[in-house]
Amino acid sequence: MGLVAQAVASGIVTGAIYALIALSLVILYKSTGAVNFAGGDVVMTACYIALLVLVGFGLPYWLAALAAIAGLFVIGAGFDRLVIARIVRQRHAHNSLVALVIATIGLSDLLKGSVRLFGYTDNVQTLPPQFTGPPLFLGNVILLRQDVGIVGVTCVVMLLLYAFFRFTRLGKGLRATADNPRAAVLIGIPVQRMRMLVWAIACGLGAIAGLLVAPKILMTPDMGVIVILAFAAAVIGGFTNIPGVIVGGFMLGIIENLVGIFISTAAIAVAPFIVIMAVLLLRPQGLFGGNPTFRKV
Amino acid sequence: MTLRSLLAIAALLVGINTANAFPVGAPEGPYKDPGITDTEIVIGLFGPESGPLRNFGFDAMGAAQMWYDMINKTGGIWGRKIRLVIDDDRCDPTALNAVIRKLVTVDKVFLLNGGSCTAAVVAGQEYVTREKVPLIMLNAAGDGALFPPTRYVFGAFGGTQLTVGGTLVDFVAKELKAKKIAYLGSDDDFGAANLAAGKFMAKKHGVEFVAVERVPRNLVDLTAPMLRIRQANPDAVIITTYPQSATLAMQKVSEFQLAMPIVAAVQAVPNPASLVKTVGNLAAFKNFYYGSPLNDLTDGPRQKWVIDMYKRAFPDRKPTAFMAYGLPSAQAVTYALMLAGPNPTRESFVDAMSHLHFVTGVMAGPIEFGPDRRDGHNASIFIKFDGTKSTRMPGVYVNEFRGK
Repeated sequence: MGLVAQAVASGIVTGAIYALIALSLVILYKSTGAVNFAGGDVVMTACYIALLVLVGFGLPYWLAALAAIAGLFVIGAGFDRLVIARIVRQRHAHNSLVALVIATIGLSDLLKGSVRLFGYTDNVQTLPPQFTGPPLFLGNVILLRQDVGIVGVTCVVMLLLYAFFRFTRLGKGLRATADNPRAAVLIGIPVQRMRMLVWAIACGLGAIAGLLVAPKILMTPDMGVIVILAFAAAVIGGFTNIPGVIVGGFMLGIIENLVGIFISTAAIAVAPFIVIMAVLLLRPQGLFGGNPTFRKV
Repeated sequence: MTLRSLLAIAALLVGINTANAFPVGAPEGPYKDPGITDTEIVIGLFGPESGPLRNFGFDAMGAAQMWYDMINKTGGIWGRKIRLVIDDDRCDPTALNAVIRKLVTVDKVFLLNGGSCTAAVVAGQEYVTREKVPLIMLNAAGDGALFPPTRYVFGAFGGTQLTVGGTLVDFVAKELKAKKIAYLGSDDDFGAANLAAGKFMAKKHGVEFVAVERVPRNLVDLTAPMLRIRQANPDAVIITTYPQSATLAMQKVSEFQLAMPIVAAVQAVPNPASLVKTVGNLAAFKNFYYGSPLNDLTDGPRQKWVIDMYKRAFPDRKPTAFMAYGLPSAQAVTYALMLAGPNPTRESFVDAMSHLHFVTGVMAGPIEFGPDRRDGHNASIFIKFDGTKSTRMPGVYVNEFRGK
């Protein structure tokens, strides 16, 4: 029993990380239709920016965190302005999806190549955990304070995001743009600026995820592969359903650990993909997604 | 040990352990193979000079280079100077294939000395075998290119992954007196080789594997495998994963407060200080050891001569932990060229390589090749690391598993 409880507790922590990264992917997809294959590298870049500020410049952690979030916010906005906006302006709309995907893959390579320039990539790195102290014991279950912090901060970020989209004028504008861009233009919403803002917010969200996960999963230039698991979480939850994506993230973290305990460690890597296949077969819109919609072409 | 005495011992051992005595005569063309004249012999030296895996080979290439320079300064081999053509394979199989083709066809080298990463160097095996060009690996483990042995490819100067797995169990059984072992390794061919040799040595020592956990390289949460290991209650845990997984495992050692000895393979701990920093808890290292194919700590007295030599050759560089790994392959090339006589061919060079047996002065054990043996090194030392201080454990540990 203790074994299962420990596996579930650790799975919730890992799941929170998946959920946060998945969230950054989904808000972008919902608002712009772009699937960001650089989502994992955004997380990775934020970690290295924070490390550079922390170690390279010797500044305090809060400044490093701020620099990482602001840096990725700017990178996201800049990427939209310089690349995505040009692609969207192309007349051949049927090609633009492919172009968007290629552009995000390009961003992924650019970010990976750039962090290697700073000389911190020779060894596995980490950022200092912000929640320290002796572990907490819940019966037989050991909980690190950092893990509790990760789940707590993730929940707070999700709530703030929910409030932003639900209650603020800007958030409502973003939702309107996502739901019907033409109608949004007609009522005076600056759609292009909104799209740029979504890219910036999504990258900023990725940066927060990076700051949280770095002490947990460690930093290497290839840590961005975690985005595959975030995609899995998004597919399981329903790619357009934000609460579903969050639940999908937590589910994935727990499933991985239970598979590792009861089946085999070797099966952990394939477990998410088996779950994805099962979900796509039985409920293609995801566990929490709405009914699938079809558009005439 | 001075360089002069080392060379003397090495030359003596090479002489004693080879069927041929030193041939006599003087260089005289025409030559059957490219890359050799009366005055020079051309060697293609390659490794990762750029890219994410640069650290594995850049300094090792430097060590080989300084050895060849030293040989040239002392008169060359049979009066011939060694001329290096240096290229960058980025540890990438495609790039390595392009590099060796260019070195052989454009630069017309006599032999190839390079390769710091197994996957890349294995990709070059087919070409050198077809073209009958000797390939002496730099510091790649190279299991896939060495088992089964083929005529033109020599390597594993730092040991194969069989060596890693076998010596870990040898150490755990002999020094730590463990009877029940848990194994955490990667789920690729490296992990398979570590485990195969480990199991062989475990059987030999009467040791039982109570948990075998093989994890994918990019697994971000090692809770499940470490919980299974904790439940198996082993006397010692062996870790042969890549550094990131090893660090995550050590974090779990700290989190689950595991007290048994943890013994890590060299590939898991490229930088002990960095490991401590990323694990973030000194208590996890209370009972921690790691293996090394070198004959001492990287700053130990037995490594001093090569460090000093490197600093003289490259005053502006600070040698990394992988530097000394590059020396033995260059030593082997020069010794085999000596043995192959004044007018060597690629075939006579390969014959000489096949009989080499020498002490490097930097590795834990001797370099030994044979007619059916292409992996040169098969020993490790072990280092106790408490998080701040490294102490070499007594003895040299050997793998006795020779593959299927």
